[in-house]
Amino acid sequence: MTNTFGIFASVLGGSGLVLGLAYGWMSRDYRDQEIAALTERLSQMEDSRAALAAKADQAVAFEARLEDLEQALATARDEAEAARQAAAAPEVAATERVSDPVAEDVTSARLDFGDPAKGAEVFAQCQSCHQVGQGAEDRIGPHLNGIFGRRAGAHDGFNYSDDMQMMGADGLAWNRDTLDAYLENPKALVSRTRMNFAGLKDAGDRADILAYLRQFSASPQDIPEAAPTAQAPEVELAPEVLEIVGDTDYGEYLSSECKTCHQQDGSDQGIPAITHWPTEDFVVAMHAYKQEIRPHPVMQMMASRLSDEEIAALAAYFAQLE
Amino acid sequence: MKLNRRVFVGTGMAAATTLSAPMIHAASHGKPKVVVVGGGAGGATAARYIAKDSQGEIDVTLVEPSRSYYTCFFSNLYIGGFRELDSIEHSYGTLASDYGINVVHDWATGVDRDAKTVSLAGGASVPYDRLVLSPGIDFVEGAVAGWDLSAQNAMPHAYKGGSQTELLKAQVEAMPEGGTYVMVAPPNPYRCPPGPYERISMVAHVLKASNPTAKIIIADPKENFSKQGLFEEGWQKYYPGMITRIGPDFGGGNVTVDPAAMSVDIDGELIQADVVNVIPAQKAGMICDAAGLTDGNWAPVSGHTMQSRMDENIHILGDSTNQGDMPKSGFSANSQAKVAAMAVRGALTGSRVFPAKFSNTCWSLIDTDDGVKVGATYEATDEKIAKVDGFVSQTGEDAALRQATYEESIGWYEGITSDMFG
Ligand SMILES: Cc1cc2nc3c(=O)[nH]c(=O)nc-3n(C[C@H](O)[C@H](O)[C@H](O)COP(=O)(O)OP(=O)(O)OC[C@H]3O[C@@H](n4cnc5c(N)ncnc54)[C@H](O)[C@@H]3O)c2cc1C
Repeated sequence: MTNTFGIFASVLGGSGLVLGLAYGWMSRDYRDQEIAALTERLSQMEDSRAALAAKADQAVAFEARLEDLEQALATARDEAEAARQAAAAPEVAATERVSDPVAEDVTSARLDFGDPAKGAEVFAQCQSCHQVGQGAEDRIGPHLNGIFGRRAGAHDGFNYSDDMQMMGADGLAWNRDTLDAYLENPKALVSRTRMNFAGLKDAGDRADILAYLRQFSASPQDIPEAAPTAQAPEVELAPEVLEIVGDTDYGEYLSSECKTCHQQDGSDQGIPAITHWPTEDFVVAMHAYKQEIRPHPVMQMMASRLSDEEIAALAAYFAQLE
Repeated sequence: MKLNRRVFVGTGMAAATTLSAPMIHAASHGKPKVVVVGGGAGGATAARYIAKDSQGEIDVTLVEPSRSYYTCFFSNLYIGGFRELDSIEHSYGTLASDYGINVVHDWATGVDRDAKTVSLAGGASVPYDRLVLSPGIDFVEGAVAGWDLSAQNAMPHAYKGGSQTELLKAQVEAMPEGGTYVMVAPPNPYRCPPGPYERISMVAHVLKASNPTAKIIIADPKENFSKQGLFEEGWQKYYPGMITRIGPDFGGGNVTVDPAAMSVDIDGELIQADVVNVIPAQKAGMICDAAGLTDGNWAPVSGHTMQSRMDENIHILGDSTNQGDMPKSGFSANSQAKVAAMAVRGALTGSRVFPAKFSNTCWSLIDTDDGVKVGATYEATDEKIAKVDGFVSQTGEDAALRQATYEESIGWYEGITSDMFG
């Protein structure tokens, strides 16, 4: 049970331990050195392991991409062949195509990536604020070179909104899914973003823009091919959900939980204000947390247990305050 | 009703209101009466919500001996030099002036549950229709051999806010070069599970700058503690070699202190110390026991309404309760207060009552701009308050996230204190 010598060693010897459960919490001087040496080696080995693992990951990702490309090529050949045949026997070919799972996959993958050439055209409407490509500079908005894989609000020298910086600190990073959600409705992801843009409602346009932008990012593997972690690519809200009329009394009770952290006078030090928030933006934002598109763990947890009716009730209560 | 003028002092502008309007009102109009004992995280929130949401339909009296409430939350940051003392001091003025709450600065000494009255040390007896108790904690007698409340000036607990916190900070700053700080950590359950370890971090932060050869020893009766991995990671990173924790395997639970000699005996080894921070085992605030509402050290309650399992006219909140899965924290007490306020209003005025929802998040600061957090949501079952979902900060998070977490805690502090005191 007791190690009396140990207590003294650590008190007098001064090399207190803060280490490994295997040793319990008591240190002895001679052990300290051993522990220090072992810790050092362990951490070196862990570093090497991490480095190796990273390489292995890259290799796997590379291989996966290679495979996909090969498959896409094969399918494209098949399709071309099918199209040729279709010219001769249209009906049969059409049925075949629909029932061919590989062909289906490629169609959706193509949607995921979009067409960079078309994307360049759609991007024209962004160009008044954003530059991309060689020599691109920050304008009203940051330049978009290397946007894939970057933390939100993290590009040095650009003056981001507080909300964008906060989202970045919370862990929001730009990948295909998050960029797609942001392009669809910027405020759903970052409430008070300075990006004054209503959003691109057409999923195809967004996919095209992302395919275009991706050419200017060094690490296109950051784009998940068909995100296996299944992050919802955008805040999916049925129109009925937005139309629920909230119960303000219930909303008032539920809101008391928000007020523990969000200040009622609307100040936003450390934690954003939630007063004077347009109802629909509020609802969309809460669902974005619930669907874990917005990153903050406390808000994800709070939103995850709110039903559609409860979110509507909160929105109705906050709306009538104004 | 006996009214002792002396005790109705209120604060600031409150005094006039307190003496005239609301009490007389209550007597003449027969409004339902709620008495809240304890003006801390649970009690102040409950009093404010009942008064605010009933819009004058309920007469609310808050009994609290102190004129100033010093939060325990952020008291460690004060010790670490990150907050000024007056930034964690709050008064009851707004509760009285803006919410019409009768603030009575006195101790509740007993509850007559049949007559439904609370007796005060000043001699008054205050009637209630519903009573809310949120008296925080008291210490289990004899929990640490050699220590009792008379030793709290030599060996402070600093586990109730205010002067104890000041004393401990002064003692840390006066430590001789290379001196020794010993913490006697409490067994479960106790107020603020990460509190002792955040305190260690803050003391280490101070000593690292002013007294880097000083030593910190924790005698701990618990195998594990809250956010352990995060604290250990931080201690190794910022304060290597300074902190020694002696767990139960090495006798950390077998401690005798000698306040006169300033020594601590840990499982037979005598340590001469310069500061001894004794945080004894805890129990419900004494008034709970006096009212016959405890079972063992704590007061059992139903999670649906926070009603005492022993008396449906009494709601108990915060640290004093045995409710289930929620940790004893200011956030929890505040969350429970809102459920109780809704239930009390429902019972007295027929307002709507919704299913109880609870939540908690505890932030801790490890070093400058390095904050971590742990949190969960809860719901009421017939048996207890049961955890639904939770999260905890991860080791190895980057500096930006840790800084954002710390800044978030500052926002939370402003939020919860204005939610308590208006
Ligand atoms: C060092 C430390 C750090 C902490 N940090 C955090 C944190 O970061 N986050 C967090 O959420 N929580 C934190 N806590 C925990 C938090 O302070 C408590 O959980 C919270 O205060 C409990 O609220 P309560 O209403 O039960 O009791 P209290 O807030 O203690 O209030 C009780 C009140 O009742 C009064 N009282 C007692 N008996 C009587 C009586 N007989 N008559 C009249 N009045 C009476 C007392 O004077 C007191 O004002 C911390 C605690 C400590 C010690």
